[in-house]
Amino acid sequence: MQMNQGAAEKRIADLGMDDLPLVQIRPVSHAVSPDWFKKYRELTHEFAQSLTDCVQELAFMNLPQDDFIDLIMGRRMPENLSVRFRVPLVWGGKLEIDNLFLCMTFPHAHNMDRFIIEQSGNDLIWMPNPAKKVYLPAHMMNGGDGGNATSDRLSQLAAQIASSRGME
Amino acid sequence: MNTNEFLSLMKSRDATVFPPTATRDITLANNALQARRCAMFPVILSDLYKSASAINLGNGYIFGPTEVARGTRFPIPSIVEINVEMGGITTLRGKTIFGRNDLFWFAFDAFGTFYMLDNLTLRVLRKYDDPYRAMSDCLIAGKF
Repeated sequence: MQMNQGAAEKRIADLGMDDLPLVQIRPVSHAVSPDWFKKYRELTHEFAQSLTDCVQELAFMNLPQDDFIDLIMGRRMPENLSVRFRVPLVWGGKLEIDNLFLCMTFPHAHNMDRFIIEQSGNDLIWMPNPAKKVYLPAHMMNGGDGGNATSDRLSQLAAQIASSRGME
Repeated sequence: MNTNEFLSLMKSRDATVFPPTATRDITLANNALQARRCAMFPVILSDLYKSASAINLGNGYIFGPTEVARGTRFPIPSIVEINVEMGGITTLRGKTIFGRNDLFWFAFDAFGTFYMLDNLTLRVLRKYDDPYRAMSDCLIAGKF
């Protein structure tokens, strides 16, 4: 059954993401290039490296310093983090950094899958569309245990890495 | 391939293999799935759970009979929890979801056929006669 905006917002809130912006799309099937997976893998690495401008949000994920560095160097995706499409390729989404965002696999990416699957067969589908490249619900932004992984320290690291790439 | 060879292969790819599940927990999970009209574990999966409660490689997960705690991070849900949550989806009737990564879900049916499903439409993308191949694809596609 087609969801109106109120019903979609209520359902996503029930799934623990009451501040997640939603956008409605028409799920029209699009052909995907045969080498999409290889390009997707490359793009996720580029996306991870682009996260130097999301230090504040990453800090709230309480990543250990090594995980943080591996992530923004594009070397390794830390445990329980997922990269998602805003608009999936099969529904016309592009293989571009702007079409990706990062969130926790459990419970958020998993629950986003459920939210979309529950709309199967609808003419229009509500899709998660966070404002920034990293999504973490406001109620989970309760800070971490500090130490070496504070926001200031991570900002310094991100700035060093960006500088070494000639991004400044 | 057998269970040990599969686990060795996944470990060589840096997968995290969580400790074995007690036989009692495997039976309880199987009964819980049966009660919800999901497919019951094929022998190969029951055998795997005796050596590994769950497996994780990047964003690829094989769910186990019980929830897996992992410190301050959100636990890995059990296969029962996953299939209870997805219980109302008609496309999945008769299938049991056993794994996921960022792009695909993985399921099996009562005849022991394994499937790769699109994670948003649940369309069947691939069928497998070889369960180890399905589990490998689930995990390896999740590697960053």
